[in-house]
Amino acid sequence: MSYEGSHFLGFRHHRVSNVLSRTSGPFLGYVPARTDENPFLRGDSNGRFGKFGGKFVPETLMSCLRDLEDEFNFVLSDHEFQVEFTAALRDYVGRETPLYFAERLTQHYKNIARTTGDGPEIYLKREDLCHGGSHKINNALAQAMIARRLGCSRVVAATGSGQHGVATAAACAKLSLECTVFMGTTDIEKQSSNVLSMKLLGAQVKSVQGTFQDASSEAIRNWVGKLETTYYLPGTVVGPHPSPVMVREFQSVIGKETRRQAKQLWGGKPDVLVACVGSGSNALGLFHEFVRDEDVRLVGVEAAGLGLDSGKHSATLAVGDVGVYHGSMSYLLQDDQGQILRPHSIGVGLEYPGVGPEISFLKESGRAEFCTATDQEAIQACMLLSRLEGIIPALETSHALAILEKLVPTLRDGAKVVVNCSGRGDKDINTLIQRGMPSSLC
Amino acid sequence: MATSGTASSFRTSVSASSRLTHLRSSPFKVPNFTPLPSSRSHSFSVSCTIAKDPTFLMAEAEKTKAAGSDPTLWKRPDSFGRFGKFGGKYVPETLMHALSELETAFYSLATDDDFQRELAGILKDYVGRESPLYFAERLTEHYRRENGEGPLIYLKREDLNHTGAHKINNAVAQALLAKRLGKKRIIAETGAGQHGVATATVCARFGLQCIIYMGAQDMERQALNVFRMRLLGAEVRGVHSGTATLKDATSEAIRDWVTNVETTHYILGSVAGPHPYPMMVRDFHAVIGKETRRQAMEKWGGKPDVLVACVGGGSNAMGLFHEFVDDTEVRMIGVEAAGFGLDSGKHAATLTKGDVGVLHGAMSYLLQDDDGQIIEPHSISAGLDYPGVGPEHSFLKDMGRAEYYSVTDEEALEAFKRVSRLEGIIPALETSHALAHLEKLCPTLPDGARVVLNFSGRGDKDVQTAIKYLELGLHWSTGPEHSFLKEMGRVEYYSVTDEEALEAFKRVSRLEGIIPALETSHALAHLEKLCPTLPDGARVVLNFSGRGDKDVQTAIKYLEV
Repeated sequence: MSYEGSHFLGFRHHRVSNVLSRTSGPFLGYVPARTDENPFLRGDSNGRFGKFGGKFVPETLMSCLRDLEDEFNFVLSDHEFQVEFTAALRDYVGRETPLYFAERLTQHYKNIARTTGDGPEIYLKREDLCHGGSHKINNALAQAMIARRLGCSRVVAATGSGQHGVATAAACAKLSLECTVFMGTTDIEKQSSNVLSMKLLGAQVKSVQGTFQDASSEAIRNWVGKLETTYYLPGTVVGPHPSPVMVREFQSVIGKETRRQAKQLWGGKPDVLVACVGSGSNALGLFHEFVRDEDVRLVGVEAAGLGLDSGKHSATLAVGDVGVYHGSMSYLLQDDQGQILRPHSIGVGLEYPGVGPEISFLKESGRAEFCTATDQEAIQACMLLSRLEGIIPALETSHALAILEKLVPTLRDGAKVVVNCSGRGDKDINTLIQRGMPSSLC
Repeated sequence: MATSGTASSFRTSVSASSRLTHLRSSPFKVPNFTPLPSSRSHSFSVSCTIAKDPTFLMAEAEKTKAAGSDPTLWKRPDSFGRFGKFGGKYVPETLMHALSELETAFYSLATDDDFQRELAGILKDYVGRESPLYFAERLTEHYRRENGEGPLIYLKREDLNHTGAHKINNAVAQALLAKRLGKKRIIAETGAGQHGVATATVCARFGLQCIIYMGAQDMERQALNVFRMRLLGAEVRGVHSGTATLKDATSEAIRDWVTNVETTHYILGSVAGPHPYPMMVRDFHAVIGKETRRQAMEKWGGKPDVLVACVGGGSNAMGLFHEFVDDTEVRMIGVEAAGFGLDSGKHAATLTKGDVGVLHGAMSYLLQDDDGQIIEPHSISAGLDYPGVGPEHSFLKDMGRAEYYSVTDEEALEAFKRVSRLEGIIPALETSHALAHLEKLCPTLPDGARVVLNFSGRGDKDVQTAIKYLELGLHWSTGPEHSFLKEMGRVEYYSVTDEEALEAFKRVSRLEGIIPALETSHALAHLEKLCPTLPDGARVVLNFSGRGDKDVQTAIKYLEV
C-alpha cells in the first residue's frame, strides 16, 4: 500500500541490505558498520549505534538539530538545569517511583511453576505512579524546559495512546508554552479520555487520518513549517539524532533509581529487567543504566497483536527489516517493496512500525533479548495483576507482564526480576469493557 | 421524631422541639473495657440527652469553653469518642462489641512496631508516599497583586498516590488492621465509586474478600468504576431500596456488618461514623500533615501559615489539619460544597447550613429539615455530596479553631479549568472546591504568607462531567458521534428555522407531490442555501426521513394552504 506520510521532505525510507543481516532482496546501498567502536558505546557523534540511528533529514533541519544537540549537551552538565529538573521530577512528577515487591504475583508464579524452593521474586518499577500516569512525563518535562531555554513559544508533539500528549500538555501548561498535539483518528477513538485531558490542560488537539505514525509525520511537517518559534517534542527514542539519545537520557532516571533501590532492598542488582517495547522509551529508560552490567539480562517484549502470522501485529524486531524511517535507520515493518506496514496492537502505545535505533543495536549486538505477547495474553496479564496486586496496568505494560508466565519457570530461585510498570490502565478501561472483560467475575 | 425504618441503621434524627429523642439502645452501657493509655482515661460522665434542648446545649457550650482556647488541652476524642459534644457511638447493641474490639486493636497497633513498619513500607512502595509538597509557581503568580505582593501557594500532592486520591492511605491501613484481627471479609459502601475502588484495590493487594455496596442509581451513572471494582476482584452489590444512592448503600452495608460481624470488617471511608472510626480514619490520614510539617521545614524552615482543604465527610482535611491543631498560629480552612448555591436548597454545606443531630452513628452537624429528616444534598462532585460531616470538624468549628466556607458547582468548575491550564495538573472536582476558595482567600493574605492546599485527588475521573459543563467544543446534547464528526470537521452542521422548514414543507408537497415530515423539511429547507453553491451536475442525496401525514394538522395552523 502506498504510504504517503513517509515521503515528505526527503524523509525517505530505504530498504537497506547489509551483508551482516539480510541476504535477500535488492541491494540499494551499503552502510558501513563502524568497526572501531566499543560495542557498548551508544550514540557516537553522528548519533549512530553501530549501523543504526543517524540523521536522515533534509538540509533545512540539520542546523536545527545541531542547535538542539548543543543545547542538550549543555544542559546535561548545567548545574542550574539539573537542579531545576530534579526538583520538578520530585515535586511535580512525584519521583522517585517505588520499586515495589509484588508479593502475590510472585506467589502466583511460584505456585504454578514449582513445588519446592522460593522461586524468583518479581518487582515492579512503579512508573504508573508518575504524574500523568506513565513514564512519558520524565522526558516531556525535560524537553519542555529545553524548549523554553531555546526561546520557543510553541511545542508540537504526536501521540499514540495519548500518554505522551497528556504529559506534553501538562509540562507545557506548567511552563507557559503553547501546545499542539497531533493524534490519529483511530487512536482518538480508542483513548478518548486522554484527548479530553489534553484539551483541559490547554493543548490544541489536531486529528490526523490514521494512527501514530501518521500523526508523527504530520507533527514533523507542522514543525518544519514554523521552525523559529516551534519545538518538536518526540515522545520516544526514534527520530534523527539527537532525539533518540535525548529521550533515552531523560528516561534513564528510571534505571538509575532502580539500581539504588535494588541495592537498598537486597544489596545487589536485578537479575532480569523486563519492559514492553513500542518504540523503546520505557525499555531504554530502565535498561540504559545496566547495559554495561553483563550479568543483568535485558528482555524487551513487543506486541504480537493477533499473532505474528496474522499480519496484524507490531513486532518490528521479530519480523522487520532494516530501513530508514522518520529520520533514522532502524528495524521497521515493511513489505517486499519497502512500503511501511500498518501495525496493530491492543496496546495503542505499542503500535509503531519502527523501533528506536538503540533498541535495534541492542538486539543486533545480542545484548538484549526480544520476544512478543499477543493481545489476548496482554489482557490476561492485565486482569491478573489487577486481581492479585490491586494495580490496573496499562495494556502496553501488560505485554511485559504477559511473558512472566514463560520467563519465570526458567529462572533460578531467588532471581530478582524487575518489570517496568510503565503506565496505569485507567485509559484502557473502555477497551477492556468492549472486550467483555471481566464478565466472568461476580 | 423520625427514625429510619431499618433496625440496623445508624441514623437517628433529632427534632427541633424540646422533646428528648429516645434511643433504641443506650451507648453508655459500657462493656468490659481494658484500661486505655493514660492520656485518654477519663470518667464516664457523659450525659445521655442529645436533643436540641437549649439548656443542655448551653451547659455543653460552657463545658467546651471551660476546656479553653488552648488546643493542647482538648480531648480529641475523649474515651467515649466525643469531640466536645460531637461524635460518640450511636449504634445498635450488636455492633458495640465490634467497635470496642476495633478500638482496642487500633490502640495496640499504634505501639506495635511490626505493624507500623509494615504499614510504612506499604505506604512507600505500594501507595507511592511520601507525596510531594509542590510549589505552584503559576498559581502563585495568578494571585500576585498589582504591587507584586501575594501569598505563596503549595500543593500537597495526594493526587499522585496509587489510585489517585488520599483515600488509599486509610484503606490500606484498615485492610492491614482487618488482617491482624483475623477478618477475611471486607465490606464497604460507595457513592461514585472512588472509595469502592480504593477498597477493592487494597483487598486485591491483601487477598481479602471484598464486597462493595452501591446504590443501583449510582451503579448506572458510574459504570466505569463498577467495572474497575470487578476487575480488581470485588463483588459489587446493587442496592435498590430508598433512593438507591449512597445513604441506602450505607444502610445495607451496616446491615451486612451486623449480620457478619465476626468475619467481616467494615472499611468506612471517612472521618464520620461511630467511634472509633473518626479517630482511626483521621490517624491513618495524619501522615499527610506529618509529611507536610517536615517538608515545610525543609523548604522554608518554618510552618505553613494557612491550610486549605475541601470537606465532604472531612477525611482529607483532618489528615492535613490534625498535625497542626495545637499550632494555633496555623490557620485552618475547610471548604464545603455549595452546589447550586446556599439559598437554592441544593448544596452540601453541612457546617454552614446544618444543625446538630445524629447520623450514621455520630453526633455532628447535618443537613436536616424541621422534622429532622435528612435533606438530600447536591454537589457536582460526588465525594462532597454527603449530608453530614465528621464530628471532629463540627468540634473544630464550634471551638473556632477552624473556619469553614463553601463554594458553588460553578466556582469549582472554574477552578478545575484554571488549575489544569496554569499548572498542568487536573484536580478532582472535590479538590477544585478548595482551589476555588483561593480566589476569595488570597487577596486577604499578607505578602509571603504560605498556603498549603491539600490536593486531595486527580481529576481524570471528572473530565467527562466537566466537559459537559465547560463547553470545550463538544456538544453532548446531540449524539456523541455527531459531536465527534463535527469536531473532526468531517461533517458540517447548519440549522434552519421553523418558518423555513414550513416553507419547504409546502414547497416539496407542491413540487413533488410528497408531503415531508416536518423534521425532513429542515433538510429540504437547507437546499435553498446549499444548491446555489454547488457545481453543475453535483449529485445531492437527501435523506427523506419521514412522511408528513402526522404534521398536516400542525402545518395547517401555520400555513395558508
